[in-house]
Amino acid sequence: MTTSATPRGLPIEISGLSKHFGDVVAVDNLSFTVAPGRVTGFLGPNGSGKTTTLRMLLGLVSPSAGQATIGGKFYRELPNPSGLVGAVLEATSFHPARRARTHLRMVARAGGHDEARADVVLDLVGLTDDARRKVGGFSMGMRQRLELASALIGDPDILILDEPSNGLDPQGIAWLREFMRYLAGEGRTILVSSHLLAEMAQTIDDAVIVSHGQLKAQGPLEAMTSGLTGACMQARTPEGDRLCSLLDQEGLRFRRLAHDMVAIDGVTPEQIGPLLATHQIVLYELSNQGADLESIFLELTSGLGFGEASLSS
Amino acid sequence: MTAIRAEMLKMRTMPGVWVTFGLAFPLTILYMTGLFAAQGYPGHTFSYVQGVPHLRQLLGAGYFGITFLAPILGVICITGEYRNKTMTSTFVLTPVRTRVLAAKVFVTTLWCVLIACLTLVTVFAIGLAWNAALGGVSSQVVDQFGAVVPGLLASTILLGLFGLGFGTLVKNQVAAILITIGTTFILEMLLVLLARAIFHYNLNWLPSAASQALAGLLARGLGNRHDPALQLLSWWKGGLVMLAWGLIPLALGYFTTFRRDVT
Repeated sequence: MTTSATPRGLPIEISGLSKHFGDVVAVDNLSFTVAPGRVTGFLGPNGSGKTTTLRMLLGLVSPSAGQATIGGKFYRELPNPSGLVGAVLEATSFHPARRARTHLRMVARAGGHDEARADVVLDLVGLTDDARRKVGGFSMGMRQRLELASALIGDPDILILDEPSNGLDPQGIAWLREFMRYLAGEGRTILVSSHLLAEMAQTIDDAVIVSHGQLKAQGPLEAMTSGLTGACMQARTPEGDRLCSLLDQEGLRFRRLAHDMVAIDGVTPEQIGPLLATHQIVLYELSNQGADLESIFLELTSGLGFGEASLSS
Repeated sequence: MTAIRAEMLKMRTMPGVWVTFGLAFPLTILYMTGLFAAQGYPGHTFSYVQGVPHLRQLLGAGYFGITFLAPILGVICITGEYRNKTMTSTFVLTPVRTRVLAAKVFVTTLWCVLIACLTLVTVFAIGLAWNAALGGVSSQVVDQFGAVVPGLLASTILLGLFGLGFGTLVKNQVAAILITIGTTFILEMLLVLLARAIFHYNLNWLPSAASQALAGLLARGLGNRHDPALQLLSWWKGGLVMLAWGLIPLALGYFTTFRRDVT
């Protein structure tokens, strides 16, 4: 997803971070790094500690242990925090009686930025025509855009987005996806949390997967999805029984999807193609299903008590 | 400085602030009306004020409304953030929270000065004209400026900080307003009367009485609003007590609510 634009920003480092709320462990010894100029998806089911982690990074929640830093400094120690980091945390944090432009002017003032940036960012998120409208009358999608505009007021190199697609309709989600691509294209560092895996798969470079506050996986998305664990080939053949016998003999994992359709797990086209040719199995179709983010995610979090419902809301 | 400028804009764009300001005007007029009516005599419903205490009362007519409007301004300044969940973005933009609180103290002070000035303008624009129309001498009222205005301003500021303190501590806007107004208008009245009746104690260090003492000469000779027999503290003692009424809840609020995790 990242383009050739010069990477902007500083590395985000989460090191041994933990947060306990009474007996509840929200984040448990979490460590990961976000590289500058990359779009990193911070993924996990609802209640997996994503929001708490981001809030600790921004100094809103104090960690029970460990630390979260940006370029080696705590957020509150940054000389011009909103000029370096823009954050979208919740789309409801507006005074309903304030106009969109006034809200942004206020944000610009608080961050020490030029108030003229209000109009620039309104234009950027497509809210110029609504600049004089009161936020109380905004739809969820418009509020989310305004929140993004607030985050961009200081033209930050780093963007931290917490579930930015929450409450958005499909059109809004598509807009957000394009917008994130645009921002990434400028070389900005983006850390975006979400439980909408299919959406994230189209946007992110790297993924950090958490569950129960613990790190489950981290790395480039491409490396994750091309790993053997989740790879899958689908074969359509009139010789389904012969194919299954062969796979059985070879010790390969497979699933019979239909009388003429077999899914073979953990293999690549380079492995399965020659095998089928050698045994002269007639094929109507052989397709690489690959491993999607969701299947990786489900595999990593399986048995931990998270159902699909928590992933698809 | 950036935090102060942002807080100024926030206050300016909160309808509650303007409602509070809007109330200061009619309440000042209401008080002046009562004052002129109190001077009336058979055949004349209203009459001009005379005598130093009444001249000062006219000049400080806004104090009547300020007693509860200033604390409301303080409460709104901080609870408006919690009510609309804007505190999260405030703390993201200004991560050093003491700066946020300091900015709010400054802005509350400034708006309290403004509301006190609004009442003074009302007195000068309407009260003096009315007094003159009734036969009074305006210069006699103006002569009391030095004796009334500093105390009025100081009292208004500390009443605002009193509200800000409770707003920091309580967070819930309605509850904070009820507590500050309830304390100054209902609870204090009951306690003052009970202390006198049962313990023969001069309970003059509660917020309303302390601020009235700070307001100083404008109230002197007229007795306490709740209990005319109550002997007020000297103006500087009243100021210190009122400062404590603002700073103690502010400090408690800072070390409890304000520094708490924003989840």
